[in-house]
Amino acid sequence: MRDFVLIYLNGVRREIRGREALMMLSDWLRKEAGLTGTKIVCAEGDCGSCTVLRAFPDLAAQPNFKGGANVGGHHATHIAPLEFEAMNSCIATVAQMDGSHIVTVEGMQCGDELSPAQVAMKNCHASQCGYCTPGFVMAISAMLEKHGGVVAAQHIDAKMAANYLTGNLCRCTGYAPIVQAALTVRATEKHSVAGRYSNTAAITDALNTAKKSLLIEHNGVKLFAPVSLREAVTFAAQNPGFQVLGAATDMGVQTNKGKPLPRVMLSLHLVNELYQAKQSRAGIVVGARVTLAQLRRLCETTAPELASFLNLFGSPQIKNVATLVGNIANASPIGDTLPFLLIAGAAVHVASRPGGKGPIHKRKIELTDLYVGYKKLALTPGEIITHVSFNATNSKELQRLYKVSQRKDMDISAISGAFSMTMAGRVKSSAVNATTHVGAHKTKSPLHVVSARIAFGGVAATPIRMPEIEAALVGDFTMEKAQTVAHMIARSITPLSDVRGSAAYRRVTAANLFMRYASEVLLA
Amino acid sequence: MANSVHQQSDTNSGASSSTSLLKDVGSPPHDSAITHVTGKSEFIDDRPVVKGELHCGLVYSPFARARLKLLDLAPALQIAGVECAITAADVAHNMWGGIFADQPIIAAGETHFVGEVVAVLGAQSKESLAQGLAAVVAQWEKLPDIRSIDEAVAQESFIGHLRTISRGDAQAALKSSPRTLAGVLKIEGADHFYLESQAAIVYPREDGQLEVHSSTQHPTETQHVVAKACGIPFSDVVCVAKRLGGGFGGKETQASPFAAYAALVAKRTGRAARIVLTKDEDMIITGKRNPFQIHYECGFDDSGKILALDAMLYSDGGAYADLSTAIMERALLHCDNAYFIPCARLRGQVCRTNFHPHTAFRGFGGPKGVAMIECIMEDIARVIGRDALDVRKLNCYGSGRDTTPYGQLVENNCLPELFETLEKKCDYRARRDEINQWNNDIKRNPHAHPRGLSMTAVKFGISFSTRFMNQGNALVNVHTDGTLQVSTGAVEMGQGVNSRIAALVAEQFGLPIAAVRIMPTSTEKNANTSPTAASAGTDLNGSAAVIACEKIKQRLAALACALRGIAQEHWPTKTAGLGTWPEISIANGAHAFTVLPCGLFDGANAGGAGSNTKNKTLVEFRNSMVVVSEPAQPEFKIDFAQLVREAYFNRTSVSDYGHYATAHLTFDKIKGQGRPFLYFTQGVAASEVELDPYTGEIKVLRVDMLMDVGRPVNHALDMGQVLGGFVQGMGWVTTEHLVYNDNGLLVSHSPSTYKIPSVQDTPRIFNVDFIENLGNTVNVRATKATGEPPLLLSISVWTAVRDAIASARSNVSSELIPLAIPATAERVLRGLSPEMFAQWDAPSIP
Repeated sequence: MRDFVLIYLNGVRREIRGREALMMLSDWLRKEAGLTGTKIVCAEGDCGSCTVLRAFPDLAAQPNFKGGANVGGHHATHIAPLEFEAMNSCIATVAQMDGSHIVTVEGMQCGDELSPAQVAMKNCHASQCGYCTPGFVMAISAMLEKHGGVVAAQHIDAKMAANYLTGNLCRCTGYAPIVQAALTVRATEKHSVAGRYSNTAAITDALNTAKKSLLIEHNGVKLFAPVSLREAVTFAAQNPGFQVLGAATDMGVQTNKGKPLPRVMLSLHLVNELYQAKQSRAGIVVGARVTLAQLRRLCETTAPELASFLNLFGSPQIKNVATLVGNIANASPIGDTLPFLLIAGAAVHVASRPGGKGPIHKRKIELTDLYVGYKKLALTPGEIITHVSFNATNSKELQRLYKVSQRKDMDISAISGAFSMTMAGRVKSSAVNATTHVGAHKTKSPLHVVSARIAFGGVAATPIRMPEIEAALVGDFTMEKAQTVAHMIARSITPLSDVRGSAAYRRVTAANLFMRYASEVLLA
Repeated sequence: MANSVHQQSDTNSGASSSTSLLKDVGSPPHDSAITHVTGKSEFIDDRPVVKGELHCGLVYSPFARARLKLLDLAPALQIAGVECAITAADVAHNMWGGIFADQPIIAAGETHFVGEVVAVLGAQSKESLAQGLAAVVAQWEKLPDIRSIDEAVAQESFIGHLRTISRGDAQAALKSSPRTLAGVLKIEGADHFYLESQAAIVYPREDGQLEVHSSTQHPTETQHVVAKACGIPFSDVVCVAKRLGGGFGGKETQASPFAAYAALVAKRTGRAARIVLTKDEDMIITGKRNPFQIHYECGFDDSGKILALDAMLYSDGGAYADLSTAIMERALLHCDNAYFIPCARLRGQVCRTNFHPHTAFRGFGGPKGVAMIECIMEDIARVIGRDALDVRKLNCYGSGRDTTPYGQLVENNCLPELFETLEKKCDYRARRDEINQWNNDIKRNPHAHPRGLSMTAVKFGISFSTRFMNQGNALVNVHTDGTLQVSTGAVEMGQGVNSRIAALVAEQFGLPIAAVRIMPTSTEKNANTSPTAASAGTDLNGSAAVIACEKIKQRLAALACALRGIAQEHWPTKTAGLGTWPEISIANGAHAFTVLPCGLFDGANAGGAGSNTKNKTLVEFRNSMVVVSEPAQPEFKIDFAQLVREAYFNRTSVSDYGHYATAHLTFDKIKGQGRPFLYFTQGVAASEVELDPYTGEIKVLRVDMLMDVGRPVNHALDMGQVLGGFVQGMGWVTTEHLVYNDNGLLVSHSPSTYKIPSVQDTPRIFNVDFIENLGNTVNVRATKATGEPPLLLSISVWTAVRDAIASARSNVSSELIPLAIPATAERVLRGLSPEMFAQWDAPSIP
């Protein structure tokens, strides 16, 4: 058992204990480490001013990890180099960084020499007031880490640049000069963050340290990070009221806004098996520690609509740490992935060890049965979610995910919808036009829906499936039918009015999202 | 000079670019560029914590209007680490305000908006502060409140007087107009969303003095508010503003009370005190862009030429006056925008409501007047069946039609040229035809996305409309190694005012910009300064710096002339301290000479200077040298740094102070007539948008801008202001939505609910260009201010959205589109499909 968190900060080993380990990383960097380049603006993971780079040695990928401590020396070549990714330091506790290498803006220069992102930002006049600037420098650097190499820039197009900058807000520049910096940045080998900080001894040290469970206690707050599932469920059984920390992207926000940290926290970041993800033709199984970014890469062929949805929405800083299981367990009615999971037949797999003794009990809960009320899950005390599974997308179904938000990106949706229908026959596009134009006459044979699945977020206290409407869709599918169903959808939901839109807007857009889907089906 | 940022028109890809901001690569970088990108720029909260320093926290009203029945701070003071609590009783002079001193620094008894501060706690740590704030006992009694302009008007709850600007008999002209149209335009506020929230640190110094570091646009006012609140003379307070993490007007007045809170804690405890608001607190407490409601009636003829305009502007000032009356004045002064209005009655009244006191925000009222007249242009066009650009060009200021309703001549008028040039450059006519065709085609297809196109203009008056504020001062210190430190009242908040002033000063002395260091703005060096606002930071402070430079140059030039005739071994550096050489006299004009001017007027004045000075001695500062030339004499050159050393040893001052007061300003606020502005910054922009018929979401496909920014000191910095101002304005007219609950609390008080533009929201194609204009000779180096004007061009995005909605619905009727600002997705969808909402908006839903 350890009582300290181990991180490497800009290459320097730090052991962090007690009070400091429970601080938000950004606060710790600024106040305890004296690194004030990292800024705090929103403290909720929306603005990216606190962006740092983080690499967590891939527990599963290290060949010697299971085998023991003998890493180093000529085994060094077996150690996978670090992969640095952008994350928001304002909504993660230091403890969650255990085992990580963190690089801040202060770690980017080589001596007095600016890093490529810094040079590009300066040359493109991409900083005005300067408050968002370190965050953008880190976001661009993260892009270089992934796509740079030394040849870099020709692979970086406008779309990619924008996607890497989505998680950062600037109020001064209008972004064009920053995008310009991202497009003209030239990586150098010397400045590669992975190259500079993938120190074998440090990686080995972190990996070895990660084999020991971690317990932080301060002021009545306890955070436990076990190295095995058995330890985890035992702790869960013995500590009623515990809360699992995933990426804690929601808990971090709540804490910053005045809610105290949970008194008992269970972090699963040292549990190797929870980093696993598997896919087959039948479906996908994702461990509790698998991030949305990893999921997107994983499901490109098996669930392409989810992959493109994850590609389009959300910031890299969040997707690099947030997990699918976290999205599920948080149970927000507007969780972005939930409507998809509902139509993909998702189930969660839970583990527990009643009384903290004996074998581990496992069971499966269908996602449709998981939500029993606003932010309430059908879990019994002591149960933790270990995996989620969902069906791969069938080639015969036409699946679409949509979200409606005030701003196109990095916005919590007002509503989101997931639609899937399996059709008996398809009509060629030329015929579709004929069908739609003379639809009333029904002279051509219309599309036939064999089965349908529809789910919405943001229209009730929990994300919902719509079985009655799915049933009503079975049969011939025409524009008239679509309009009838759209109207049924609008009538069947009971949304609220709030800051993101009125109830009427949610009803109208819920119906409209279905109409968008219907037109894609009919015109496909 | 073009900047072209072409972005892929891919569905979700925002920004990007194939061609580049190449022109800007040669521009000198922002003076903080390197410290910004390395994270070494120091902002308020980056200052190291000193021993014993306290954190300040605020107790504030949770209701729009309430009586504070009980405030018990004793439980908070019992928390370990809570060191002091300050209430209204502790404030020496408890009233402040930018124009009228009507706002308590700390309220007592009755409160008038959510966020009005009733107590300040000072605590050793954030944790003890949070516990202390939680322990405060406050009992409130809710009182009737006013939470809309309509309610305020009904109850005649006003701030200041009704203001009127008029020309001719507008009502009579309306009656005789062949056509009229009338409407009501609702414009909501917007949050500044400067990334650095309000922040200050106050260090108590010896003998009762306070050193204030504040993120303020107005160090002088902050100094004064702090001194008054603490009951100490102004001379005992120094206010320093090194840099701001954004201001945009939000820190012009409203930074000061926060500095006062920290000062009161520091004075009480004798310990340093820091106040740094969270983004949520900042958004809840501080005022926004004033919401406006404008009732207008416009008369015009069949060609679309405006004959008369009668407009009544109401603004929501919030609970206290702040700058709202001046903001209203600027709104009235911009109702004409680029267009000649022969008969006008423009009236404005600020309403007092129970919201945070609204305040300056980039554009300062101007955008509201401009939104109205640009909306009228669109509607006239729709009514008479012409293209809106033709109506605009018809009404544009031009020869013979070049006097504003308030009587100022529109000089150096580039507007017709701007319209003509951009029309061609952006291919307006062909695109208009394409869009019409597109919109016609999609009427058969309810799933296609309607598009809109609109070109609007800006003619933004530069100068504070209140004359006394149009002054600046500067201190220039030349050091004996030839480098300079320059201090002015200008506050650097990202806009690059430091870099511009450094460039102006460097040019004066013929030195590289690197030789000039702009020092942190501080009231001990520059007193009685105006806020850095109204886009005039460089104009006022840069001009003052140039005046100081000219004084120093006169002395250096005289010395150089004198040295020319003296053998080097007798120069002061060789003789200093030996007392063998009398000091060189430069005071009595013994050496007649002319200092050659720098900058723009090199060319313009060369002829004049040449003819007048044919037989005179000329002194020129160039290439880090001072050069004395005279007909038939060999040129005398001396290194600038060496000349400075000679001056020092000769006991000649190489420092000076410059004061600048803008000339020509004559505006009479009571009559509403005269010349409020030194000049106008002008521009046009054409925006093309596409609407999502299912959700109402807006996509800005393309923006083309063309601006007259005079003769830029630094092209890249001006481009930065233009791009940034436009995108900031886009947020105001589209996605930025302030939502208040029934208590008057702003519920969209963080970026998760308040949506400023992200990189994905920027125009897919964004072309920005400047015209050449060397004619603005009334201003320093013929520059023009660029801070606010580009923001107003974002109104073209809103008019383009109106155009798209109107086109999509034109089969319904020729109805005019009542689209408020911001055009949120919901409002756009309601505009596109009002019938779909009708059934759900009913009070009870079956």
